[in-house]
Amino acid sequence: MYFPLIRNIVRFIILVIMQVMVFDNIRFGNFIHPYVYVLFIMLLPFDTPKAKLIFNGFLIGIVIDLLSGTPGLNAAATVFMAFIRPFVINTITRKSDIEDKNAPTVTEMGLEWFLLYALILLLLHNLFLFWLEAFSIRLLGVVLLETILSTPISLIVILLIIYIFKPNKK
Amino acid sequence: MYNLFIFIKKYNAVILFILLEILCFILVMHSLPYQNRKMVSVSNSISGGYHEVTGNWADYLHLKSENEELAQHNAVLLQALGCDELAADTIYVDDIFTYIPAHVINNSIDKINNYILIDKGRADGIEPDMGVICGSGVVGKVLNVTEHYASVMSMLNSYLVVSCRFIDNQYVANVSWDNMNYLYGQVRDIPSHLIINKGDTLVTSGFSNSFPADIMVGTIEETEDDENSMFSTGKLKFSTNFNTLRHVYVVKNNYKAEIDSLCISR
Repeated sequence: MYFPLIRNIVRFIILVIMQVMVFDNIRFGNFIHPYVYVLFIMLLPFDTPKAKLIFNGFLIGIVIDLLSGTPGLNAAATVFMAFIRPFVINTITRKSDIEDKNAPTVTEMGLEWFLLYALILLLLHNLFLFWLEAFSIRLLGVVLLETILSTPISLIVILLIIYIFKPNKK
Repeated sequence: MYNLFIFIKKYNAVILFILLEILCFILVMHSLPYQNRKMVSVSNSISGGYHEVTGNWADYLHLKSENEELAQHNAVLLQALGCDELAADTIYVDDIFTYIPAHVINNSIDKINNYILIDKGRADGIEPDMGVICGSGVVGKVLNVTEHYASVMSMLNSYLVVSCRFIDNQYVANVSWDNMNYLYGQVRDIPSHLIINKGDTLVTSGFSNSFPADIMVGTIEETEDDENSMFSTGKLKFSTNFNTLRHVYVVKNNYKAEIDSLCISR
């Protein structure tokens, strides 16, 4: 697992399968839709060029879209999220803190930092996605409710996934 | 020219971001109902194959309750026909409408716009805009059709409005979804002088050529009067349970072309 490319491809496939086969089929309630595949973009290394980040976001979004029959919807949200990711990282960390770090994972950056980082990205992603899905001001209340309820659930599920797949270094 | 290259190189991420967002928005816009049906059909045929496999498994798990419901539905139909024999053909035909049975292979109830995927397509005679019903009531309207699959806009979709009639007094109103709960819809455009009671039944009016008349839609749950408006609205409980939908019938109007030719001026 020391080849980053292979690791990323495996991660991509596992997250897509999880999202489409498991989390799209679980009905937590009317307003709760956990999106876990965004973890792929969250975990890309710090030194990934912005353009590559955005392209990766588009790729995973469009794959999810094709499998769930909503062309462009998830892709638009993930592209937005990939675009905003560097700004989020710059806002919540000093440059010197991440110089010797590889990727924004829990192991490298600590749980607290990762929670804040994932929460901000998930909020933005969900807000964008639900707004685009509704596409009207009339449904603003529903969109906000969906965002507020879905984000914490997504965050919890993402943390569970991270701890399940966490490599043992002891 | 050189400056342009410098500019592109410096802002490549922003440019890529804007281009991809535009592409995504175009895709989303084109997948909205009535705008372009073709875009969705590509993804339909991909997700259709996948959902058919998972749908088969889900079908298996629901066999028992499904059988009971079918038997019940059959009994009602047989009673209506007034005969004891089972029809050999599974396709029921009356004078104007043909009913094509289909399986639901994917269904959502918790999005803002919900769609159903069924396993019958153009090869089985299904076309866009046909109505879809099930044993207990109205389900939705066909949106896209591929060779062997079709996507259906369910009643749980903010784009679908169905014209309905009160069974007691024959007044006509419009039913749509309330965007909140898959059990309830909204009845709009009820004339405000009309006295509506809880439990009043709404059936399809038959004014659109998608649905035959007198198909059950739901019952009134509560009403709200708006004194300033000429119309009042009501809350409707759907007779169809969208959560457990498995078998549906696509309604084909045999005289659609003829009716449409008269409606062109509209």
